[in-house]
Amino acid sequence: MRFKASIHNVATFTKLTASLNSLGPLAWVKLGEEQICFTIIPEQGTQVWAVLSVDSIFETISVQSAAHNVINLEVPLASLTRALKSALNATSATIRLTKKDGVPVLALTIVTTTSSNAYSAFPANNDNRPDASSADDSSGGSRETIVTQEIPVKVLSPDTVAGLHEPRCREPDVHIMLPPLMQLKSISDRFTKLALADAKTGSGSVASKPRLEVAANMHGCLRMSIQSDAMSISSVWTDLINPDLDPNEVDGGEAGIADHPSTRMKLLGTADGRSKEGWATVRIDGRDWGKVMSVGRLGGRVVACFCHEHALILYVYLPSEHSDDESVLTYYVSSYSA
Amino acid sequence: MVVLNFTLTPESASKIHDVLICLGKFNDTVAIEARRERFTLTGLNSSKSAYAAVSLDGKQFFSSYECIPSHGGPDGRFTCSMYTKALLSVFKGRLYDPLGRDGAIDRCEVSVQERENEAQCRFIVKMVCNQGVIKTYKLTYEAVDVMHALFDRNVAKNRWSLHSGAVKEYIEYFGTKTEMLDIFAGEEGRCVFKSYTEKITNGKEILKHPLVTAVAVNTSDFEDFDVQPGLHIIISVKDFKAIVIHADTLKTSLKAYYSQPTRPLQFSYGCDGLVCEFTLMTSGDYTAAPTTPTPAPQALNSQQTSRAPSAATERTDTRSMRSGMPPPTEAASRRDRAGRLRHPGSRPPTQSQQAQQDPESLFVPDPSEARQREEEEDSAWAPLDYDKEETLGWDASADHDASVFPTFRDSGSGASRTNTMDSNDVIEPTQRVSQLKDLGLW
Repeated sequence: MRFKASIHNVATFTKLTASLNSLGPLAWVKLGEEQICFTIIPEQGTQVWAVLSVDSIFETISVQSAAHNVINLEVPLASLTRALKSALNATSATIRLTKKDGVPVLALTIVTTTSSNAYSAFPANNDNRPDASSADDSSGGSRETIVTQEIPVKVLSPDTVAGLHEPRCREPDVHIMLPPLMQLKSISDRFTKLALADAKTGSGSVASKPRLEVAANMHGCLRMSIQSDAMSISSVWTDLINPDLDPNEVDGGEAGIADHPSTRMKLLGTADGRSKEGWATVRIDGRDWGKVMSVGRLGGRVVACFCHEHALILYVYLPSEHSDDESVLTYYVSSYSA
Repeated sequence: MVVLNFTLTPESASKIHDVLICLGKFNDTVAIEARRERFTLTGLNSSKSAYAAVSLDGKQFFSSYECIPSHGGPDGRFTCSMYTKALLSVFKGRLYDPLGRDGAIDRCEVSVQERENEAQCRFIVKMVCNQGVIKTYKLTYEAVDVMHALFDRNVAKNRWSLHSGAVKEYIEYFGTKTEMLDIFAGEEGRCVFKSYTEKITNGKEILKHPLVTAVAVNTSDFEDFDVQPGLHIIISVKDFKAIVIHADTLKTSLKAYYSQPTRPLQFSYGCDGLVCEFTLMTSGDYTAAPTTPTPAPQALNSQQTSRAPSAATERTDTRSMRSGMPPPTEAASRRDRAGRLRHPGSRPPTQSQQAQQDPESLFVPDPSEARQREEEEDSAWAPLDYDKEETLGWDASADHDASVFPTFRDSGSGASRTNTMDSNDVIEPTQRVSQLKDLGLW
């Protein structure tokens, strides 16, 4: 079993692992020559199934194993993120699977070059001491430092992962492009806080799960709201885009689109978001949603698919240089029943 | 009755702040020893495996310094101990600010009021601020005997010196929650700093194991490197971080002196009348290092000194002044604890205590603004901690970075925000949306 790769996009890799880490501490990582899959299945809350093209992270990769050259690992995301962060300014970074004292580890080797006076570049508290910089003058040139980070991992057998399947869901009623996630996050965080504060001051019996109601229609509207005995607050976005369905991706082609739930939803509701009809609604856990929003740091386009009263599925498309290799993170957020 | 008065410039006062932050990572009390010509702050951790001494030169560090101990003649001293937190609430950050913003001072005057017949003995700090405001703090102190660790640099044949800024870069690679630091002098012209944690778990827990980080540095990057090849020496990574972060505030070189594992190691640095010395307990496989014969008299010397790293005598470099000092008193139990040869690779006794403390609590903020911004951006994306107390108020600061302050204001588009600010058109929050439509904000 062999895995070795050189990383050319450390920033994206770090942001990816950091976003995933907010949902769960451990990821199932499936390494292949073409694709890298990251899957988080927490005991509660949102699942993530991410499929990345190798090129989006790695420059070169070699994967060899007895099981069709696929390696399955269980990786602690916090350690991986911490290790990758130290490679952000590296001149080169490679990662490989190896064994240390009988324990499999992912070893990240980072080469950094720092010019010798870089550490005195910050003038903090230094301006009043002209002699302080004299220590640097003696050493010249650049320093090359090699950093090795060892992340303990567990190798998963093909049998272990054979039972893990991506959730299946019915065709969505509404699909819509989300507004910038930072905007969405600051509002939903605020709402969640209000819901929690309300639960605290109100009757103590209310469960501590703050429920956000998220709804969208096929006329470019997204609505986020919280309701309680004391208040009802909502924010509505309009003029968002409802992407067209690709006939090649829908069962039954053109006919399938005509029968598609979203086509029927198009007949209902209005573009100003004031109509009561045409909304597909889900009730989600505010805390969990806050964790999902963490993916915004990757800066991808996000399409939300609403299955009314059932589930919310987010597709996060990573921005990539080559349009042909697409990397997608799929978030499965389930809805509470009313 | 002791006479102790001194005055600090804002720069020196802010250095005291940095020193206290550092000493606070070793113990929650700091011991003070004032002599005629210098003032020393010391800290000893609870397991007595790390001792820190910061001596401030009376002439160089202070703008004025006067100390006349009540007894003991020229070698007399005034000693006491205080809570680090109490001192830190007086010596706050930002005492020195060239722009004279909030918190900046003009000078700091300290005196000790000790009356033998009265109960009120106080350590009085007067912060003379810029607008004629004088803040006076009266702190209580405890009269204690101050001990110093002995360290004989003649025996410590292994030495290196490296700019603190470079070492600080290295410690930033270290993972959180690691416990040990192995400093290894490799044979191929490299020195390896390895942060790790000893195996405590196995099986399923293996994934919770902290990162193992090894930083390999060319010995040519050191200002000076003279270490026996192949020698491993192991110290606590938390102590090392505390030392390096403080050394970096002074932008000086960090010097290390050590002989072999299980013998004490000393870090030293300083500038402008401030000298810091940290004497740390080490562990490691002392049999593994190729032994170079040490001259007999020095070996004997090292026996004496290293057996009592926390004992009560003067430091060796000032031995000539010891005549007036009381003879060293040393508890037998303590000697045993500090001086015994420990099992190779075993955990120093500090670990259990240190694990309980919050490792991040007193760390100074990173000076690098870029990194800070990166972290702020990171935390903006992190899931919100809903249990955190929050207050809603006016943002009077000039920073209007949307990603840093996720307030209501930020939910608008960027263009509308700048419009509002540029035109200075203050919009009452009670206005209806319809009234605003023609202002072109939406």
